Amino acid sequence: MFVPHSEIDLKKMFEELSISSLDDLFTHIPETLKLNDGLNVPPSLSELESISDFENLESKNTQNLICFAGGGHYDVYLPQTVKSLTMRPEFMTSYTPYQAEISQGILQVLFEYQSLICDLTDMELANASLYDGATSVAEAISVAINKTKRDNVVISSGFNPNTKEVVNTLVDRNKFNVNYVDLVDYLFPEDYVFSQDDAAFVVSLPHYEGSAQDLTSIVQNAKAAGVITICYADPSMLGILKSPGSMGFDIVVAEGQSMGSPLSFGGPTVGWFATRKELARLVPGRIIGESRDSNNTKTYVMTLRAREQDIRREKASSNICTNQTLNAVGSTIHLSWLGPEGLYEIGYQAIQKASYMKQLLTDNNFNVLNHTSSLREFLVETKKSAEEVILEMGSKGFLAGIKYDDNQILVAVTEKRTKAQIDNYVNSLMEVDNA
Amino acid sequence: MHSGGNASSLPLVGGAPEPTINQLSKPGRRASRFPKLDVPVTEINNSAIRNDKPSLPEVSEHDLVMHYSRLAHRNFAVDVGFYPLGSCTMKYNPRFADYVAGLNTFANSHPATPSAFTQGNLEVLHELEKFLIEITGMDNATFQPPAGASGELTGLLIIKKYLEENNLTNKTDIIVPDSAHGTNPASAKMAGFNVVEVSTDVRGMVNIDDLKELVNENTAGLMLTNPNTGGLFEENIMEISNIIHENGGLVYYDGANLNAIVGVCRPGDMGFDIVHSNLHKTFATPHGGGGPGSGPVAVKAFLKEYLPGPIVEKNENNYEWYMPKLSIGRMHGYHGNFLVALRALVYMKLLGKEGLDTLGSYAVLNARYLSSVISKVIPLAYNEPCMHEFVATVKDLKKSHKIKAYDVGKALLDKGFHSPTIYFPLIIEEALMFEPTETQTVDTLDDLAETLKAIIDELQGEDVSLEEYPKNLPVGRPNELIPAKHLTVNWGDFELLELTE
Repeated sequence: MFVPHSEIDLKKMFEELSISSLDDLFTHIPETLKLNDGLNVPPSLSELESISDFENLESKNTQNLICFAGGGHYDVYLPQTVKSLTMRPEFMTSYTPYQAEISQGILQVLFEYQSLICDLTDMELANASLYDGATSVAEAISVAINKTKRDNVVISSGFNPNTKEVVNTLVDRNKFNVNYVDLVDYLFPEDYVFSQDDAAFVVSLPHYEGSAQDLTSIVQNAKAAGVITICYADPSMLGILKSPGSMGFDIVVAEGQSMGSPLSFGGPTVGWFATRKELARLVPGRIIGESRDSNNTKTYVMTLRAREQDIRREKASSNICTNQTLNAVGSTIHLSWLGPEGLYEIGYQAIQKASYMKQLLTDNNFNVLNHTSSLREFLVETKKSAEEVILEMGSKGFLAGIKYDDNQILVAVTEKRTKAQIDNYVNSLMEVDNA
Repeated sequence: MHSGGNASSLPLVGGAPEPTINQLSKPGRRASRFPKLDVPVTEINNSAIRNDKPSLPEVSEHDLVMHYSRLAHRNFAVDVGFYPLGSCTMKYNPRFADYVAGLNTFANSHPATPSAFTQGNLEVLHELEKFLIEITGMDNATFQPPAGASGELTGLLIIKKYLEENNLTNKTDIIVPDSAHGTNPASAKMAGFNVVEVSTDVRGMVNIDDLKELVNENTAGLMLTNPNTGGLFEENIMEISNIIHENGGLVYYDGANLNAIVGVCRPGDMGFDIVHSNLHKTFATPHGGGGPGSGPVAVKAFLKEYLPGPIVEKNENNYEWYMPKLSIGRMHGYHGNFLVALRALVYMKLLGKEGLDTLGSYAVLNARYLSSVISKVIPLAYNEPCMHEFVATVKDLKKSHKIKAYDVGKALLDKGFHSPTIYFPLIIEEALMFEPTETQTVDTLDDLAETLKAIIDELQGEDVSLEEYPKNLPVGRPNELIPAKHLTVNWGDFELLELTE
């Protein structure tokens, strides 16, 4: 399958190599290692035969759940224009742009990606993508540790538990302390005192629970203690929230799914990473720069390569090689499609619809735990176990949210949700939780 | 010349440079439209809300489409030409996988959806695990790692945790061949190990005597590709893995070169304890201009409980997520690059037994044939039968005509080919590393060899200025110093630099 050779081709190749069969290629491999009967796998299928197999497999997923789950991944509308441009085979099937002369397309899109993210976050230098939001947080912490040579990490507890697990896995806790600071009333305590041992301050905007605050004064306190400040931002809210750069952060990371990638069951998405130029040489991953060729024509090229694993080996700033370029292409095109008005609108509509929903829930005797401080995402208390409620809401056609605690559900609203969907959700929740 | 080698069929178009999307922006233009807000407006009171609009380009939808289509026309890809790119396995990516990856709930499931509603997705991962462990000869797999380097780190963290659980924390050395990919030592360092390099012998294989000297009670493990980065099968692989095992270490298989042996032999039978595969190489998922990849890690049964999770387990009637008891934790926010895994499953199902049994054989056939015809043009680095890739060297041409591997690569671009991998492995002077993959025709392979001969003749000419190559592309060789020195990494940076200098 996908091997192009005809019998005539094979004859020509075998003659060139003086062999008479494919087995003759492997006389140097010890006999005991060879697979004599081949692999124990099912027979080959034609495309036509396998269509029904895969459609059948897909149909085993519950269809058409209306999504009220967030936690970093959001059901933001992804326009066809963005999908079809991102899937252009010249982008999708290209290799990493090491050969600049034949890769100006990808290089320029990535340069635009870096620039758009810098504009949006008020930073100076973005890399060309990391794996996802969670691993980006861990990479940012590693930059802070390398920069400060300190070994204590102050991180808000207001993160997706999975993100915390990734941090706990990737930050070597034999060498470094990871100190989770509890939120107070769903906000990071303004009076938190940083110490001279702290390498990093990491906080989410908005917090995982959906509440948001201006973090400027906390960032100032952290920086006064020489701490590198890291903001994990929600890209689809950056049209309506103050930028992390304007709050003074040193590094901004994000789960970029909502900008340019379908939900994809969580992957592939893209991790955004942006910072100030003074940290350039500690940045993980690839960076694209603008230059000129010998005719003084504008040329883009991968730059600051001396940080990377293929050159620096064990002294590299990170081991990352393959990243999430195609999803970064998606982010670029989606942000350009949205423009300032569009990005504002998806944030604005999400907040307005969430406000309506919170009020409707409250009016129907549900307790919204962070009603005032939350924006598009919030916590609802349930009488039944959250797990049970989510399963029963599923049979009514809703992905009700993410279980936050035994009797608490994290609910997210995007601009895609309609008043009718919200009304039906609340009605269904009343039926489920009061039954 | 038949395919890609004819300059008149050059796939890229160019001309004047394409402006940035920012330069196309005009106030008041927009592509996006949204439905009217259908709920009553409430006042938003939160100190984090901004007073102004974000800074983004303002363009019409048609301008947007033209801009990104024109950029696509300036980009080489598997769908437009041949990448003989060693170590990267740039094979054809079946189109059918695009259709499957776009099916509704595959593409659009929220990752926090309970397993009760995503049985199809869990079955995808379970089915792929079955293929993968059969192909690699292992017992269990995780799809958490989103790329090969992440798979390497996963494997090393598993080794570390395993040693901790067995009170062997004195074992701190990871042995890596001097020919290894840069990710190997970088990952080992990230996992907190010391990196110890083992040398390569004259035949191009791990130097067994050196290995024996380096191995001691501190040896935690060995990372190895087989075939190695020179494209050669490590014939003494059983002895190598025994040496490590006898000293209480574990043996890690870097799956970068797995394409060579699929259906021929298996890492699990060679004594490897942990294997990562690059689905974006061996299993034909598109490389995306540098990603997304997927780097699932498969292990022998005694390491299953160390895998990052959750992993999929099949119960009587359904699939469930299972967090291994001694798990190293999580390598990804959710389930790794699920849609990449799905594409790999599509590929494996299409190939099936007939295709997978012969996959490695055809990959090796193409490489062996190409090495035979190219060896008549430039010498090979090793006098051994190659597997799926091989290394040639122009060190003699560098001495006689100052022609470097870099120059040959650049001149090839002009003829419609991607450059082979150059200067890798690091231990070979002026290395050119070729990997044709099994999906290229013999005509294309002949074409590459003939083109290579033509350009080497051309580059030896009297008045040739090597720096001028490539000549027929949208841009010539970039000045790499400017962005590295001045950090022109953001639009406006370069213009500012010009103003200040």
